[in-house]
Amino acid sequence: MASDANGIPELDQDKYDADEQVKIICLGDSAVGKSKLMERFLIDGYRPQQLSTYALTLYKYNTTIDRKAVLVDFWDTAGQERFQSMHPSYYHKAHACIMVFDVQRKITYKNLTSWYTELREYRPEIPCVVVANKIDADMKVTQRNFNFAKKQGLPLYFVSAADGTNVVKMFKETIKMAMSYKQNSSDFMDEVMRELENFELEQNKDLSLQTAQEGLKPESPESV
Amino acid sequence: MPFVAKRCGVQFCPPSIVLIYESNIKDTNKMRKRIIPVRNFSKCSDCCMAAERMKHHIRHRAYLESVSLGQLERLHIVLRDHMQGHSLEHTLASLRLDPEEDLNKLDDEELARKKAQMDKLFERNRRRKDDPDFVYDLEVEFKGEVAREPCSWDEEESDDGF
Ligand SMILES: Nc1nc2c(ncn2[C@@H]2O[C@H](COP(=O)(O)OP(=O)(O)O)[C@@H](O)[C@H]2O)c(=O)[nH]1
Ligand SMILES: [Mg+2]
Repeated sequence: MASDANGIPELDQDKYDADEQVKIICLGDSAVGKSKLMERFLIDGYRPQQLSTYALTLYKYNTTIDRKAVLVDFWDTAGQERFQSMHPSYYHKAHACIMVFDVQRKITYKNLTSWYTELREYRPEIPCVVVANKIDADMKVTQRNFNFAKKQGLPLYFVSAADGTNVVKMFKETIKMAMSYKQNSSDFMDEVMRELENFELEQNKDLSLQTAQEGLKPESPESV
Repeated sequence: MPFVAKRCGVQFCPPSIVLIYESNIKDTNKMRKRIIPVRNFSKCSDCCMAAERMKHHIRHRAYLESVSLGQLERLHIVLRDHMQGHSLEHTLASLRLDPEEDLNKLDDEELARKKAQMDKLFERNRRRKDDPDFVYDLEVEFKGEVAREPCSWDEEESDDGF
């Protein structure tokens, strides 16, 4: 059920159904620079909301697209990447994904495969960008092809959170993609399908546990 | 600067920081050694605070002027890890960046040590908001995909289904 995937009592994720609300998630290994990129983009003052129980940080960003006010929520992990997997509520209702690796560490590039697989399990359709961060450390990497992005048909950005190269461009283009996905997607159908699938699963479980009503309650927050 | 630090290290027993320095006083230019005891320091102490205390200590600060706070903190970390029973090897590895290491496997403190190492380059290359030549929306065009060369990281492609 929707409330299951929602998973975080403090946060009403139904708000992301509203026209002017967008949710963008960051993925990638520890220390690739996800948080530094957020801070660089929101340089003019940001007040991240820490949800430490869920190893989660939220950044809010106000902007206008086509003369319409839009509120973007960026979701950043605060340690959950350690498990190389995120709780389903992280993906729930996301409209775009920023996937980051560190150009100085091959393993973070190789791990994109598993991050991407997990993303697609939950959000098969949302736009996703691949971000090669820390190019200030070695500009030569910008002359290389990183096949992962090409193979998956994803845009690749060469950026540096340190000197700022292409950070704002990458974020702005991702927000645009998120908006246009939101306006044009068959998201609603996805949700309905998912609900139906969940319903079947829950029923099976409920029968075996003989607690038919319990199945409708949200999961306990400890499971995050 | 009357004293210029040349090398520094630690001594476990009793816990102290050892400093080899050159004295510029009276043109002697001789290498000297100073042993600074680390007091009120236990395996639970905050290394950053302890380092700061030492750096500003009225009797030692002149000698420590050319030793960075970061380095003093690392020396305290070596001492504290030893008190916690860690080997010197373990500690030195935790303070070194190994590009092959999987940082997802580290706990908070270990990860913080790695990030502190990364911060050196980050701070060196950083453009700040109050720099005169700061550009918020800095865009740089790089070679297009066709003009770029293959990356060695993609080489074992067939093995791992990348
Ligand atoms: N040289 C360089 N270092 C960076 C850059 N971005 C991040 N870092 C370093 O990488 C470390 C980890 O970044 P952080 O944002 O905490 O990574 P996260 O775990 O993915 O959120 C930081 O402490 C910085 O020292 C960059 O663009 N250039
Ligand atoms: Mg982070």
